[in-house]
Amino acid sequence: MKKSLIIPLALGLTMFGLNSCQKDIDEINKENPNQFSDASGELMITGAQMANVLFQEGEAARMAGIFSGYFTGYDRQYVSYQSYKMTAGDFDNIWGTLYAEGIAQCRIVKEKATKGGNKTLYGVAAITEAHLLLTASSLFGDIPQSEACNDNILTPKYDKMSDIHQYCIDLLDEVIPNMAGSSAFGAAYVAGFDWAQVANTLKARALLRKKDYAGALAAAQNGVLEGQDLKADHSQETPGAWNLYYDFLDWNRTGYLSCDGAHIVSLIDTLSPTSRFNSKTDERARYEWYFLPDYATPLDPNMYGIFYATSNYDLVTYVENELIIAECHARLGDNSKALDHLNNVRSVNNNTYGGFDAYDLADFGPGQIEEGADQSAALLKEILEEKYVSLFGQIETFSDMRRTNNALGIPLNQGTTQHPARFLIPQSEINANSANVPATGKDLFSKLELF
Amino acid sequence: MKITFSKIPVLTLLGLALFVSDRAQAQSTDGDTVNVGEVTITATGLTTSTRKTGYGVSQIKSKSIVSSGESGIIQAMTGKASNVQITRSTGDPGAGAYIQIRGQNTVTGSNQPLIVVDGVPVSNSSLGGGIDGVVQQSRLNDINPADIENIEILKGAAAAAIWGTRAANGVIMITTKKGKKGLSIEFNSQLAMDEVNREFEKQDKFGQGSAGKWAANVANSWGDKISNRTGTDELNTTGAYFEAADGTKIYPITKKGDKTIYNQANRDQVFRTGTTWNNNLSISSANEKGSIFFSVSDWDQKGVLNGNSDYRRTTGRLNFSYSANEKLTLSMKSTLAKIFSNRIQQGSNLNGLYLGYLRTPPDFDNRIFEGTYYNAAGVATFGAHRGYRRYMGDAVPTYNNPGWTLNNQVNTSDVVRFIVTPEASYKWNKNANLIARVGYDQSSDRRITYFPVRSAGSNATGTFGDAMITESELSLHLINQSTHKINENITLDATLGYLATDRNFYQIGGSALNFIIKDQDRFAFNNSTSENMTPFNSVSRILNNRVYGTFDFTMKDKIFLQLAAASERASTFADRFLSPSASLSYEFSKDVKIPGMSYGKLRASWGQVGIAPPAYIWGTNYVSAGSASGWGEIMDASYFGGSIYRSTTRGNPNIRPEMKRETEFGADLKFLDNRLSVGATYYMNNTKDIILAVAVPASTGYTNQWSNAAEMKNSGYELDVNFAAIKKDNLQWNIYGNIGSNKNEVVSLAGSKSIFLEGFTGTSSRAIEGQQMGALWGGKWLRDENDKLVLDANGFPQQAPEEGLLGDPNPTWRGAIGTNLTFKGLTLNVLFEACQGNQMWGGTYGIMNNFGVSMETANEVTLSADKAAQVKNARGTTVDQFATPNADGTYTVRGNLKDFGAGEVLLDQYWYTGLGGGFGPVGEQFIYDASWVRLRELSLSYQLPESVCKALHIPGASLGFTGRNLALWTNSPQLGVDPETNLTGVTNGRGLDYFNNPGTKSYIFSLSVKI
Repeated sequence: MKKSLIIPLALGLTMFGLNSCQKDIDEINKENPNQFSDASGELMITGAQMANVLFQEGEAARMAGIFSGYFTGYDRQYVSYQSYKMTAGDFDNIWGTLYAEGIAQCRIVKEKATKGGNKTLYGVAAITEAHLLLTASSLFGDIPQSEACNDNILTPKYDKMSDIHQYCIDLLDEVIPNMAGSSAFGAAYVAGFDWAQVANTLKARALLRKKDYAGALAAAQNGVLEGQDLKADHSQETPGAWNLYYDFLDWNRTGYLSCDGAHIVSLIDTLSPTSRFNSKTDERARYEWYFLPDYATPLDPNMYGIFYATSNYDLVTYVENELIIAECHARLGDNSKALDHLNNVRSVNNNTYGGFDAYDLADFGPGQIEEGADQSAALLKEILEEKYVSLFGQIETFSDMRRTNNALGIPLNQGTTQHPARFLIPQSEINANSANVPATGKDLFSKLELF
Repeated sequence: MKITFSKIPVLTLLGLALFVSDRAQAQSTDGDTVNVGEVTITATGLTTSTRKTGYGVSQIKSKSIVSSGESGIIQAMTGKASNVQITRSTGDPGAGAYIQIRGQNTVTGSNQPLIVVDGVPVSNSSLGGGIDGVVQQSRLNDINPADIENIEILKGAAAAAIWGTRAANGVIMITTKKGKKGLSIEFNSQLAMDEVNREFEKQDKFGQGSAGKWAANVANSWGDKISNRTGTDELNTTGAYFEAADGTKIYPITKKGDKTIYNQANRDQVFRTGTTWNNNLSISSANEKGSIFFSVSDWDQKGVLNGNSDYRRTTGRLNFSYSANEKLTLSMKSTLAKIFSNRIQQGSNLNGLYLGYLRTPPDFDNRIFEGTYYNAAGVATFGAHRGYRRYMGDAVPTYNNPGWTLNNQVNTSDVVRFIVTPEASYKWNKNANLIARVGYDQSSDRRITYFPVRSAGSNATGTFGDAMITESELSLHLINQSTHKINENITLDATLGYLATDRNFYQIGGSALNFIIKDQDRFAFNNSTSENMTPFNSVSRILNNRVYGTFDFTMKDKIFLQLAAASERASTFADRFLSPSASLSYEFSKDVKIPGMSYGKLRASWGQVGIAPPAYIWGTNYVSAGSASGWGEIMDASYFGGSIYRSTTRGNPNIRPEMKRETEFGADLKFLDNRLSVGATYYMNNTKDIILAVAVPASTGYTNQWSNAAEMKNSGYELDVNFAAIKKDNLQWNIYGNIGSNKNEVVSLAGSKSIFLEGFTGTSSRAIEGQQMGALWGGKWLRDENDKLVLDANGFPQQAPEEGLLGDPNPTWRGAIGTNLTFKGLTLNVLFEACQGNQMWGGTYGIMNNFGVSMETANEVTLSADKAAQVKNARGTTVDQFATPNADGTYTVRGNLKDFGAGEVLLDQYWYTGLGGGFGPVGEQFIYDASWVRLRELSLSYQLPESVCKALHIPGASLGFTGRNLALWTNSPQLGVDPETNLTGVTNGRGLDYFNNPGTKSYIFSLSVKI
């Protein structure tokens, strides 16, 4: 062979050798030197809680509020929400917060806490996960749970709404014994709550939706006590920390959301013929706290009151817990105990706003200040109505509305013929997990399993 | 010392090409673009005969780079090669420019070509670029244009295939000068003047205010009619006042009476004649043992913006080579550049120049912008900032006074750049040569951003940023070249190569807020407390190596087959990437004689190249927690004690390079004894596996995953023509031109309808399935199924609920035509350039409508009483209900009558500040045709006759003039800016104007002396 061929061949082989063995090439991209490749569960849990706050207080609450007579969609895309014209794409962001920022993180924390033997951290992650899943299932019905957030499953199957509720109840039961008196790892919430109480009230919510009134009553009896509410912490007046309604109403999306013509206004406005005013009830102070007259939109949610920048947001409260107890007693036939718990709430109202005296059983019934077919019906309606008014801006009353077959008679928005029964399964699921998405998930008016 | 002057003049100088070697002379008759020159640089950095290439190449010669008078090489290339689109970001001195060769190839990665200087890859980054801030430089422009011998643009995949995953956007091969025989010393000096080449017109009829009434400090110019004012301004001189440094006092106005218009004064506050003083000295020498080229240059430019706007670049270069014996040659090319530049804030930015300037009402005088404010009690506020939104300077104005933006804010860029290329070449056989080449390119850029206390907006308490960006690339290149005669008819030129590169990026810096000492400009972090300081750093490293071979077969000296393949590995992808290519060309003129045709070649080629994945997307990161909705609300972990959680974007260890395949066909033809030459190419390409963070169902636990998902394609043609109309000793006349057209299509985005690239919530530049890259997207008018506007009850159009496609910033074609006339020592060169079919979002104009400062908004209409009772404004009020009648019963109102389809309506303040203005949601109405034609270059040079030179005892001298952008023709008067601009700089988002700093035209005078 000629030298002129041997040398290039030898060179070529050498070059190819150089090309093949350079260890750094295989290694340096594996980890991003500017980011972390792992974090402890203790560091992660606040992130999951922030996602829970955004999920409970953000877009989902506003949509549910438009569906349940709290708010009016007034401008831009919210005009179509007002007439229940939603597209699957409108729910993508909510879904991302729920799963990728919420449930996925909770499950990683649970795994890490199990390895580290930290039962409290495990409990916090479990309660946060149950909180997310219960609200999510009340809005979307059947959703991925058993196969969700698993790195090996790209198309998670959908679990039944009842199964998801049972999963959450079991999860809460598992951790409640370890959580009594603890408010550890709760950086996104206002201090002073008790995880075990929160877990019990969440469990009561789930059982109430399943119409297991005795079970719900039992759980709620260990639920949130007065002064120990779980609230999102918005004490810092800055974007990124402040009240999310405030952010939407006054900072980012002025004019989109109004209360003009909303059903709740008719209940507590003195001028309304259907107002709740009677000899023992004066809603004027609560009205001022909830609503704000405005130039552009006739009546706004009060961004300088209940939704002010530094107003903390109610997530799981004593008032809700008491009204669950009241409703369960009423439904189980014990009007007297039901009234006691309703009056507990009226007492809180009186302390907060003034204008609420305790009711007597005699106040309920035909011809009484709380009208009804009979005493029981009048009392139950008042318990539900008080809950509807007290939980202004929260998602859970949208569950009550559907669970009770709209016992409060919340009217349809103008130009519509039926109430939305659910949220739509998002477009991202339809795009890449279509085989699993239930057909009912694409119909805003299709009733959910438990409702 | 005795200096021997060479007989062969050296090629060229800064300013104008006057000393042209015999060989270069011959080539220069091919015009500025040479498609069929004699020697071509291949992708390895070695030369080959242009006859042998099977793909289209554009060559740009030294002469035309320097004669352009541009400070940057990139801008100097514009108009000189077909389908090479250059868009400067703005006219700021040293501003970067975007290069696009044959369309875009990727979605979120870079669409900028690879730059190879003297055979080694170098950086052309332009880091930064968004809707606000300052315009950044392009690193390629660090190189002194006068040092360049030749630029070769490898457009297609086949030409560039050995560069593999760095070649998808084409490769620009730059060769710097080397010493020429003898000794030659040249000095070139250049003085240039720049002017703004296109300005927005502002109305001068209506004053500051709203609803027809004058009011101080308000945003808009919807105030009173200035000519109706009486008397002078009535002032309250008993209380608070503002005092300028020169003692001028400004008192509160109690009644506006003054009719003075300040548009011109305010304009003159902002603009000046930019000046450039450029000096270049070069020494060139060579003998049979070696060659040396040395140069120093200094480019000192003050921009047209009348303040801290400048660019000074000082460079040095030493290129030498030495042949130790017949076999071994050692060489080194090296350059050093130091650049210091001041820049002006622009864009969507309360501290930006045009935002404050163009919004200023015609009756407000901006010239006093700082001073001392005394309140009614006489308490002084020193260093007060005065602007039209706070004319007393009693508080920080909502927008900066332009004077403050230009003079008090500081934005510097301090760059040091060096590139060294040592090389050893060993001819180990008479037909074989081995080359070892090392390249090292490093740049550091220290950027200061300084907003003094009382700057507008969030910078009111002072903001300081300081960052150091360091980039480097080390490369090792081994090449073996050999020639083999296979048989009588076939020879093979074979090249084997190995190229390894190591790219590093490091950035460190910080920002500081809330200055402690408020009245001294200190670029120091210690002027803020620790909780107001934020440090940052980031690092990136990419390793890459490839082995390649190219095999060029020459058959019967008329058929040329080139086969090449590279096998590449890199730290950013796991598997080997192969980039094969093949090209075939046939000189049919050797076989077929066509009358009039002196040369003819047909060529075809195919190649596969790629785009490497970005660094660090293999793994899933753990990041600072933060949840955001689509509406702007966020939960930020830093307010809740901090939290790190798993990123919602999933990494992908199986990521592959994006793969581009291209086929091209072409012909190179010469007629009339080579006097007319034509090069034509058609190409089509397709990029698959484009990397995106694809949306996945969030129930998987992630919202996005890095994937090879999207697809894009391009096709187009390009034509380069040159005609030597007269070719005599004393008179030469050349006509040259090029035209190129590219059609891009984003074929698939893996389920996403569109991907945001750059811009605003309302109007953005996006990748949209089925459209060309960068298409403009935003709010539209509501239309029915017949595409007719759906009007509201008052006859006005309405906003559609869904956003949609608004326009396309990509031209349908771009071309240039020029002529070059040389008569004895006199040379005239004229170059026209055109860009047609591209659209632009005129965001600035939309906002000027909103503020009532555009000419359109100052119109007045007179309506009869009957008509006034019918015509409604956007609030649904008829004219007679809000206007006062004239003496004859008619009504005269400010605004425009327009019929949208339901009868005439009045466009007045309510319309322009609502749906009809730039703050409204309908971006559609501000999309304009941004086509242009310009006189890109007009240059005239005179070479002193030999007799004069002899008398002066110099070998040669010349004088020259170049005009740059002297004339510009456009279709849309609303675009008050040279449409060759881009708000977001060198990014994939294109076609946005929103208070961009303006473009410029230049007058350049040069003198060149050979010593």
